[in-house]
Amino acid sequence: MTPSLRELQRSFSCCLIDGHDAAVASWIEADGIAPPERVAVYRDTFLSTLHRALVLTFPAVRRLVGADFFEGVARIFAAEHPPTHADLNGYGEGFPSFLKRFAPAASLAYLPDVARLEWAVNRALHAEQPRSLVVAELDRVDAEEASRLRFIAHPSVSTLGSLYPVDVVWRAVLGEDDRALAELDLAAGPCHLIVERCRDEVDVSRLDETAWAVSSALFDGVPLGLVVERHAGTDVPAWLAAHLLAGRFASYTLVEKEALR
Amino acid sequence: MVGASLPTGAGIGLRFQHHERVLATRPRIAWLEVHTENYFGGGASARTLERVRVDYPISLHGVGLGLGNAEGIDMAHLGRVRDVVRRVDPGLVSEHLSWSSFGSAYLADLLPLPMTEEALELVCSHVDAAQDVLRRQVLIENPSTYLQFTHSTIAEWEFLSAVAQRTGCGILCDVNNVFVSATNHGWDAEEYIAQLPAGAVREIHLAGHAVRESSYGRRLLVDDHGSPVASPVWDLYETALTRFGPVPTLIEWDTNVPSLDVLIGEAEQASRRMARVHDTVVA
Repeated sequence: MTPSLRELQRSFSCCLIDGHDAAVASWIEADGIAPPERVAVYRDTFLSTLHRALVLTFPAVRRLVGADFFEGVARIFAAEHPPTHADLNGYGEGFPSFLKRFAPAASLAYLPDVARLEWAVNRALHAEQPRSLVVAELDRVDAEEASRLRFIAHPSVSTLGSLYPVDVVWRAVLGEDDRALAELDLAAGPCHLIVERCRDEVDVSRLDETAWAVSSALFDGVPLGLVVERHAGTDVPAWLAAHLLAGRFASYTLVEKEALR
Repeated sequence: MVGASLPTGAGIGLRFQHHERVLATRPRIAWLEVHTENYFGGGASARTLERVRVDYPISLHGVGLGLGNAEGIDMAHLGRVRDVVRRVDPGLVSEHLSWSSFGSAYLADLLPLPMTEEALELVCSHVDAAQDVLRRQVLIENPSTYLQFTHSTIAEWEFLSAVAQRTGCGILCDVNNVFVSATNHGWDAEEYIAQLPAGAVREIHLAGHAVRESSYGRRLLVDDHGSPVASPVWDLYETALTRFGPVPTLIEWDTNVPSLDVLIGEAEQASRRMARVHDTVVA
């Protein structure tokens, strides 16, 4: 029976994703080569293209686990979580949490956090370039309205915390710095990072724990009034000013008063 | 519809590996082609393209629009293509005769369509939509295929010609793809070239392919863009030039990317053949 185009593409996509090709094979000319073998050419391109995309985004993870292991896990991830859009620079957001659940990688406890850092770096690298919010634009906001301010982070900016010194691991692995790797002390304690694009370079730097908590809340869009309330005793305005001057916000909105309760 | 174009000469695909060298040395290349999707964001690569386009005409080649998607094209994706087109002001914009998404999944490949009236109508409606949004002519490239559907009723070259005739789109004739598909399916490659509407072909692609053995011993050619242009493809290129006239020609090499000099060498070879066929000196 002749399939509709929609029916054909539904079966073909299932076949690429999970490898089942019963229906598709019956619609393909054999012509000297078994239909499943023909479909396998496409499945291989599908998986290897996504593997290549993950290699570009997660180079440190790949060096830590080895190229073969990485290819294996990348292909499993790709089949279970194919991209939802055609911008492959933005593919792999779920890879860090996938690694966390991936039992064969469990011995490297810090691996998922290295992956989270690489994702943040990738995001910073490829983010669009909207204009940054400038301080003067806030002149329109009355002083009594200030607590209702909700900032929207520049798309290249994010914060990341880990129980391990993943920034040290990441730099040592990518810099192929064997001495730093040998001296690596995973018990050195947590790190609190801010990742952003400055001009065209991606910058990863540490913040102290309090500054990191305040900054994360601001970048996550927690209204200013709540940030001040939750972090009483810290100089929230100083951090806000620093982020504004560094261009780390794209815009702001004013939330309703009810949202502050 | 805007009918911009590229200089009649040979270009190369600009890959990240060569960004710095191209910026630093500005080698003599007629034009450059980039993958549209790689320039959706900001940052260093977008900045590089801004600088490169000052000195070189640019062609934007998309791989992810999915003109043959049964469930429709992703209008958000098309909007992002439009934004890149506005920023880059390219000489040509092209996409593929293929599909690439179903449901929520993008399948990261140029997938084969059945050559049917249903598919033809669908592709034409999507090409119309793309040309409306981009406000310019789009070129459609013939794919390399590794299978044929039993219910196909139209030859690929007829399908492509019909899309061009009905929508006013141009054709990007990938001569390597013609060779690969013709070999895989037992078509006559020369006949394929002879049947395309010459006036609609506005760009040619050349690339290398790989040979894969199947389990029954039948060989399958796979378009992997990972080696020099093969000798029979150069011959077919001359056939294409004879029929289409001098057309901007691109050397595509995306896997195992060689040095810039090797790419430029391939482009010079294309220029020489263009000059030989048309007895004109190509700048």
